[in-house]
Amino acid sequence: MDRCYGGFFSYVFMLTLWNELRSVWSARALVWVLTQREVAARHAGTAVGLLWPYVQPLLTVAAYYLVFDVVFSMRLGEGAPTHAVGTFLVVGALPWMAFCDAVSRGMNSLIEAGGLLQKNPLPPVLIVMRSVLSSTVIYGPLLLLVALAYTPLHRFNVAVLALVPLLLLQFALCLLLGYLLAILAAALRDTVQIVGFLLSVGIYLSPILFPLTLFPENWRWVLWLNPVTALVIGYQQVLLLGAWPPISIWLVGLAWLVGLALALNVVVARSRDQLVDWL
Amino acid sequence: MNPPHTNNPSNASNTVLKVQNLGKEYKLYASPRERLKALVTGHARHRSHWALRDVSFELQRGQCIGVIGDNGAGKSSLLKLLAGTLQPSTGSIQRVGRVTAILELGAGFHPDFSGRDNLYFGGSLIGIEHAEMALLEPEIIEFCELGEALDRPVKTYSSGMAVRLAFALVTAVQPDVLIIDEALAVGDQHFQKKCIERIMAFRRSGCTILFCSHSPYHIRHLCDVALWLKGGQVAQFGDTESVLAAYDQHTRQRQLDEQAAPVEPDAPQTEPVEPVATLDVGGACILSVDVKDLGEAQGERPAVLHSLDLVVTITARGRGTERPHIGFMIEQSKGVGITSLATHEDGAVPEQLADGSWRSVLTFPDLPLHSGDYVISAFLFDETGLAIYDQWFQFLHFSFIFPKPLPGLVRLPHHWS
Repeated sequence: MDRCYGGFFSYVFMLTLWNELRSVWSARALVWVLTQREVAARHAGTAVGLLWPYVQPLLTVAAYYLVFDVVFSMRLGEGAPTHAVGTFLVVGALPWMAFCDAVSRGMNSLIEAGGLLQKNPLPPVLIVMRSVLSSTVIYGPLLLLVALAYTPLHRFNVAVLALVPLLLLQFALCLLLGYLLAILAAALRDTVQIVGFLLSVGIYLSPILFPLTLFPENWRWVLWLNPVTALVIGYQQVLLLGAWPPISIWLVGLAWLVGLALALNVVVARSRDQLVDWL
Repeated sequence: MNPPHTNNPSNASNTVLKVQNLGKEYKLYASPRERLKALVTGHARHRSHWALRDVSFELQRGQCIGVIGDNGAGKSSLLKLLAGTLQPSTGSIQRVGRVTAILELGAGFHPDFSGRDNLYFGGSLIGIEHAEMALLEPEIIEFCELGEALDRPVKTYSSGMAVRLAFALVTAVQPDVLIIDEALAVGDQHFQKKCIERIMAFRRSGCTILFCSHSPYHIRHLCDVALWLKGGQVAQFGDTESVLAAYDQHTRQRQLDEQAAPVEPDAPQTEPVEPVATLDVGGACILSVDVKDLGEAQGERPAVLHSLDLVVTITARGRGTERPHIGFMIEQSKGVGITSLATHEDGAVPEQLADGSWRSVLTFPDLPLHSGDYVISAFLFDETGLAIYDQWFQFLHFSFIFPKPLPGLVRLPHHWS
């Protein structure tokens, strides 16, 4: 009875997860060193080095704008937050690219760092944190840059401040999901393949390419199965309309956060003493 | 970042390492799919393999403990648990202060980055921050002797260079507990000696050392206490000599059991072992071992000693100006060891010859053995008697005939009254 109660208590209050967060905090200096190294290692030996990770998404986004708004001048119909297709696309596509990058890096982080973890006394969570952070230091500035480029649309309305909690929410979602998938991938490598597929089709299950209003009413609920949907609607509200995102966005985002945290707490507790052996 | 450890200031005694009921279970799943199922549903579907079970011991500051045991007895698991790279399944480990492990040197080096860059990164992995590393850097560079190579990518290094850098890095700061997994056998002779010197210096200044080795010789010389692991459990823990004696008896018993088992007991077991210097030509090595008055080997039969004295002349090349030490061991050809001797143990020194090599002549006047077949080994040590530069192990078998046909092995000093 006592043990049951203890187990229940630790699940509800996510004690395991708190311990993980504490170990990240107490090793924050190391996490930063690991992050810098991860970014540097990715393009070691290239001439432009650190610029590459920034240039690639930037060029993609620029291509969207040029193709849809400048060359073809495509327009969206009634009910869309903006009428220029390229402008609309960029606001959703960049956060989506950031999400995919962070989640897949987080998911692969443990498997890739197997040797490091087996030979150094490091808590595995640091490695996941490093990978998600290394993605954040690339895409965070890019998202802020886009926000700046959209000034004519939102005119620095106070609602722009909502970007801060939106970005934090995205970071937290990526971290929790990346860590969860990293442990599942350590247990069964097929996870990487399945998630890779889901990430490639996920963009169609979100209001990134088309505004929410263009989806058939009966099927709109499917979009909410994608954790990015709430975020993307939030970004669109803020950057395109200069408006506060509706409360429903925050509730859905929070629900995802809590659900992922609960699942992660269980999985971490169950795998803790063997995780490194699986890598 | 330091490995997670429990600081226990209320504990006034000098205990730096306290292990209680430590156990490590490896869960063996039929397939990775079962592993994922167990992870998601929480139902156990595995076979258990306990690599360690119920291990408890305590180490005081400045103690040196040797861990021995057969292969698969759990030595590596224990070391990894203590180093913090494995998580225990049961029990607890309390560590005080900095714990450094020399387990696998050079893990975590990135081949594309320079040695210096890896030095700083590797430092941050073991809790040496950038500013501190900047202070330690000159000393590390001097110790690892990499010179200009330090600014080249690590992928251009030889394995020896990488190991030198790694050793210099992990031992840059004196730890409170040092864990060594037979890492003494790294690098060339020159560097090996430096490693041993550094470890001995740590020991003198109060560092607790946990040392895992197959070599009873090293454990006997370095350690105050020994821990014998058998099948994942502590078979014996205590004073080095008694633990080693018990372990020695266990290995001999095991060898006997193994020898009893084969179907063809008459198969010639004693294939001639060529005396091959184990290390490179430029280094210290045994040059020759001559036994006086030894006859010719007759086919399968070993050579007969035509004298009642056993006189062995061992010649070796030393390293630089250092005076090496020479060791000798005699055993029954198929049986137990009889005695081992070394110049540093006996307070003797080899003499230097005109060509710079070293020679010791070991004489057993009126060899106190009964008739039988014997095998001898020769060893070359460094000045301290800790590093083995070369060994000719069980390289020469000979027959000795004691004129009186009495049964027995050795003739002990005795008198009748």
